[in-house]
Amino acid sequence: MPAVVVLILLGTGCAFAGALGGIGGATLLVPVLLALRVDPFLAAPLGMLSVAAGSLSAASRQLDDGVVHHRLGLSVELFASVGTVVGALASTQISEVWLARILGLAALIGAVAAIVRKGVRNQPVGIFDDESAGEWPGTLGGTYSLGGAVVPYSARNVPLGMGVSVLAGLVSGLAGVGGGFMKTPAMSEVMKVPVKVAAATSTFVSGITAATALIIYAGQGRVEVRAGAAVVLGALVGGLFGARLQSGLDATTVRRITGTLLLVVAAIVIGQTL
Amino acid sequence: MTSTPGADPSSGRYDRLSLVLGRALAVVGALALPAVVLPPAQGVWFGRALVTLLIALPLLRVAWFVVRWFRRDDLRFAFVGLGVLCVVAVGALLS
Repeated sequence: MPAVVVLILLGTGCAFAGALGGIGGATLLVPVLLALRVDPFLAAPLGMLSVAAGSLSAASRQLDDGVVHHRLGLSVELFASVGTVVGALASTQISEVWLARILGLAALIGAVAAIVRKGVRNQPVGIFDDESAGEWPGTLGGTYSLGGAVVPYSARNVPLGMGVSVLAGLVSGLAGVGGGFMKTPAMSEVMKVPVKVAAATSTFVSGITAATALIIYAGQGRVEVRAGAAVVLGALVGGLFGARLQSGLDATTVRRITGTLLLVVAAIVIGQTL
Repeated sequence: MTSTPGADPSSGRYDRLSLVLGRALAVVGALALPAVVLPPAQGVWFGRALVTLLIALPLLRVAWFVVRWFRRDDLRFAFVGLGVLCVVAVGALLS
């Protein structure tokens, strides 16, 4: 296990990058830990602690900004959590190489989907004022603020989005990542939700994914609390600043940063299996 | 699962929840520091408290929404939230 100071720095850097792109810091942290020869069975719980801390540090600001869609998030998480439970329980049975290949392929697909799309899909509408920004009760729709105007949106292709969420949950439980790199594209590219809402909602549900997996990992005796505290300390700082910067950027910039981060992650993960 | 907007679009504001989560964040930070700095024998207790809190907070947030939506007759999503908690409970039992 790396020194405490190294773990704090890794936690900070990965959480910052993860919160910025809405992909979860653990998506970067876990491959880096594996590259440092940390046992995968200990790296996965560290990743999930980073996810939980990153989600918490972003929570207040994202709630104040009105960009988290809780109804959509819990609808997605209902299916994702089933995958998480199955993945976490099965994580001791699958080989590391195949796990890395699955993770790398999924990250690559998400990166391409995020980078290829151009322009802003949802346009501002004058009839909504800034006070109405947020989720609409009883629906998977809502509004969010964009350049001083308010943009309405509504989730589409819901069954397909839920299907991708099950897969994201499975990968999360297996690998110890939050799954944001799959859930964010699932919401933004499949369900056609604005990327800022998708990224913030993904950060919210990744905390639930982390809690689910950590309960199972703790039952398996895999949670190293001192190393975990070091990662959490770094993740709190990194997640806080990443979320602040995220809400100040425009949607296209966030999507491109997300896509670039995913490409880097995919290259790291796939490269390890060759 | 989509339909027309509800009657109160501004009800998506969550000032009290935001405040509680902000304070919880401070507590988590306050637990993480001694868990790292203190000798392992003492630090491990702070670490365990930290992990417990990080597991409990997202689930309490879900529970908060379940109660809120039941009270506001947003039953479909209240049951969705309840379903999430049930899946987590099953996972805990199976582990």
